[in-house]
Amino acid sequence: MSVEGSTIGHEVALVELVDRVLNKGVVLSGDITLSVADVDLVYVGLRVLLASASTLDRLDGE
Amino acid sequence: MTASAGRPDQGSRGTALYVYGIVRAGDDLGGLETATEGVGAGAPIELMSDGELAAIVGEVPLADFGQEVVMERIRDPAWLEEKVRAHEAVLEAVLPRAPLVPFRFGTVFTDEEQVRRMLREHDQLRTTLDELEGTFELGVKGFLEPDWVAVTPAPGEDEPASAGTSYLRRKQRDLRVAEARVESKLSLGAESHDVLAAAARDAVANPLQRPEATGRSGDMFLNGAYLVDAARESEFHKAFADLERRYAELATFELTGPWPPYNFVEAEGGL
Repeated sequence: MSVEGSTIGHEVALVELVDRVLNKGVVLSGDITLSVADVDLVYVGLRVLLASASTLDRLDGE
Repeated sequence: MTASAGRPDQGSRGTALYVYGIVRAGDDLGGLETATEGVGAGAPIELMSDGELAAIVGEVPLADFGQEVVMERIRDPAWLEEKVRAHEAVLEAVLPRAPLVPFRFGTVFTDEEQVRRMLREHDQLRTTLDELEGTFELGVKGFLEPDWVAVTPAPGEDEPASAGTSYLRRKQRDLRVAEARVESKLSLGAESHDVLAAAARDAVANPLQRPEATGRSGDMFLNGAYLVDAARESEFHKAFADLERRYAELATFELTGPWPPYNFVEAEGGL
């Protein structure tokens, strides 16, 4: 983990952020819009990454 | 020969318009342009209005947000984190200034005319914006303490017994512990959501996330979002503090926000 990324609070905030920005909010079709399916896919991948990062943080702290 | 040679200029060097969300035309967002940077490298945040609505817009390079490029870019977690944070930063700069309808990440239009057309096609969002006035979203997650056990010994369970009986008793006890945890999760989730919802204008209970997704050892029993009236904010915080106190031994609650009302706008453009 990078220095500024090493606090649990930071990870919690990022998880919350990703849960909203990639998973909620109004979906409209711009003419260059990312497809919802693509965003969903990336969202799921990123969640797994974030969860394992915060697991590592927790284990570090124990 | 360079990589971009042969492609139309627009393919790599042009720009497009990224839309963060929508506000009411005429709402005072004073200072927004300088408050934050957005997802486009250094491009100012501006408002484009049509009728009663205005889009919060920033120019983005097609080198990042062109149709094919962006599909690649979003697979880079570092890039995505930076842009997701920038998206949020713009909306958080708007949040205290005016009611807003937040868009999901990645809504991009080719030019101003397309943005204005989108505004005209969604003029019903004006009603949504009026309803959101003076509110913000708070998030609350609840986790069961990993070591908490709600089970007391069954009659006779602690008496000496043969190895086989002890084994069976242990198994039965494990089963009862697991059942008790599931029951506690259900009742705690429902109760805490009700308590918080009563102090909010609107409430959403999102699907619970598994430990693999939360990275926490305690089971999640609440994944709520609450649309809170600014005028009733202290009431909500009191409800939250009461819950924390009441269940201090068996649960941890996590409060986040204020957020733009991501959970309180219709996903499909409010249609």
